[in-house]
Amino acid sequence: MCGIAGIATQHAGSIAVEKLARMAAAIQHRGPDGYGFYTGSHVGLAHVRLSIIDVAGGAQPLTNEDGQIVITYNGEVYNHVELRRQLESYGHVFRTRSDTEVLVHAYEEWGPDMLSRLNGQFAFAISDARDQSVFIARDRFGVRPLFFTTQRGNFYFASELKGLLASGDVKATLDPQALDEVFTFWAMRPPRSGLRGIHALEPGTYGIWRDGQLRIHPYYELDFPERGAEPRDAIEQLDELMRIGVDMRMRADVPVGAYLSGGLDSSITAMLASASSPHTLRSFSITFEDPRFDESEWQRDVARAVGSMHSIVSMSENAIAECFPDVIWHAETPLIRTGPAPMFHLARLTKNAGIKVVLTGEGADELFLGYDLFKEVALRRFCLRRPESTIRPKLFDRLYPYLDERGNGGEFWRRFFLDAGPTNDPLFSHLPRFQLTSWIKQFYSADFAAGLSGVDVVDELRQSLPARFYRWSTLNQSAYLEMTLLLSPYLLSSQGDRMAMAHGVEGRFPFLDHKLFEFAAALPTGSRLRGLKEKEILRRWARRILPADVSERGKQPYRAPDAPSFFGPNAPGYIADALSSGSVQETGVFSSKAVAGLVRRCQSGQATSFRENQALVAVLSTQLWHDQFIARPVYPRALDIDAADVVLQDSGSASYSGASALNPPSYV
Amino acid sequence: MQLHETLIRERVRGFLEENFLYMRPDFQLGDDDRLLERGVVDSMGVAEMVTFIEDEFEIKTSDDDITEANLGSLTAIGRFVIQKRATIAA
Repeated sequence: MCGIAGIATQHAGSIAVEKLARMAAAIQHRGPDGYGFYTGSHVGLAHVRLSIIDVAGGAQPLTNEDGQIVITYNGEVYNHVELRRQLESYGHVFRTRSDTEVLVHAYEEWGPDMLSRLNGQFAFAISDARDQSVFIARDRFGVRPLFFTTQRGNFYFASELKGLLASGDVKATLDPQALDEVFTFWAMRPPRSGLRGIHALEPGTYGIWRDGQLRIHPYYELDFPERGAEPRDAIEQLDELMRIGVDMRMRADVPVGAYLSGGLDSSITAMLASASSPHTLRSFSITFEDPRFDESEWQRDVARAVGSMHSIVSMSENAIAECFPDVIWHAETPLIRTGPAPMFHLARLTKNAGIKVVLTGEGADELFLGYDLFKEVALRRFCLRRPESTIRPKLFDRLYPYLDERGNGGEFWRRFFLDAGPTNDPLFSHLPRFQLTSWIKQFYSADFAAGLSGVDVVDELRQSLPARFYRWSTLNQSAYLEMTLLLSPYLLSSQGDRMAMAHGVEGRFPFLDHKLFEFAAALPTGSRLRGLKEKEILRRWARRILPADVSERGKQPYRAPDAPSFFGPNAPGYIADALSSGSVQETGVFSSKAVAGLVRRCQSGQATSFRENQALVAVLSTQLWHDQFIARPVYPRALDIDAADVVLQDSGSASYSGASALNPPSYV
Repeated sequence: MQLHETLIRERVRGFLEENFLYMRPDFQLGDDDRLLERGVVDSMGVAEMVTFIEDEFEIKTSDDDITEANLGSLTAIGRFVIQKRATIAA
């Protein structure tokens, strides 16, 4: 996996390689194995490389034979072997084994239509000197990030916001609505980035920059064409899709490992990976010193069943607080949960073990309706069919027993779900979560709240839903919302790509193979959630490959401890600074008085509720984020251009002078 | 001192302001305001509030007591506590 950045301008010869070197330096953690630059008449590209495929020959940026087409690419296209074969049959000549070169020739052959042929996770930019355009694209589910902005007629893009900001040309200004989205949905919705004028390229879309204009087009849209009945050979289809999906994701010239939480999904991917790996599989998991969250014994049992060599990182109470500023620096967003912090530690453990690539079980809960939220939807609908029933709502107590540690919330607890919204609201499934999360907004400062007057992010979401959404069942509607609101911008980004790439580790997600998604999306929802049994068809199939106790184990919600980690006796000093009245007032998002009350309750151990924990993480992360990206940003020094693996220069489209990067590149 | 509904309401109001409304200093909590509907407490908050009421007014509540009718507003709480204490005394 890698990092990319670049600039396109309408003014020939105006891009300095030094600026690209600053942008690349800011994202070098994504690609610690090498870097390179390209400067053309109107385009400059940068690349930092994590070498995984064709370690010796895959340096970037990479050009086609005549230097007209240049790519900088972050990602993996798993079917590159098959695409290469096809392109060779059309007469394309390859000089490396890298999947990067496949994209260059695929672009030559098919243009933007190439995207529908790619199976993988990617974000890339292709400069085409023939019409002085830049083509940018992002994978279907948003595994790999890509941000862009236009400033004074120039076009900038980078894998991370810091890559844009480090150029020196892009100003960071807070976007209040983006924060309001985080404090409603858990994450901001692309194209919002948190900073005004900077946009996230939406998953499943591409853009073409030409003549000073960027035009964005979708190439992939989630759909749920639900069948009336499960196909008779559904289990066989699932078996083939899972095995092929994992086998393709084992393609690498370095050893591939696996994250293993002990749950069903990662056990499946690890088991298939172990079977497919030529080496003993290395697997990695997190646990907590706090015995209430410690799952290490179970994780070891699963690792034994998988046959992997297993490593565990055990998180102390302070481990989250210690790394939290780094977590925010990499996540580039305020958070409401500390879940990314353990993933940050896990990636470090993985890297230190010499593993650069890991398979994970991400995506299975969305495809196969694994989350409690889906059961909650089914229960709420069931209860609201007989509103007078006093028995039906008691089922909620069985759904979330762990949230009720102090005893019970009785009728209040149940009414919370039933009063959240009517069944005919398209956002029915997510309204309880939105309401729970929005409690944070009570801490807004008066000025910040006034600035959001008239803004209703929930209604904006409601208005933005595609027409096809209304053709789907409630459960598929909720799966769509979960994939677009949480999976892509939070789980795959803040908790996924960003934490792994902080340590140069690439995550691969067999459940997010688009063919598997399309298979699952067409199943009757009853095949995925039967009664209150989640991931039913997946469990049915998994009995073939996993011991029964693993395949039948219920969902264990991932719960990292929040507020206590910031207020123990050994809490780092930055916390008091970030939450001080002066700091909170300077940032201006939250009321310093309200935050002082929250801090007092956290310090005295009274802030035990889920909502106060969320509020604390929201405030602290916003303070850190604002300080790091807006108030006092510090970016690393530019990379040394003389030490680059590749420096390509095109003196002009008519007189291309750079040798192909496929042969030893020309050095400037 | 004899407990009466007004005193109970004020003690519970003080508890709620201190623990649940500290971030909303301008919030006016009326005697008949529905606590859940107005976002004063959530389900966990109810558990916390019940613990306070049990300790403060020396009563015990069962699962079946935790209802909107008994604990949904300050007025309801005042009435509920008086009834409970009367039951204990009897």
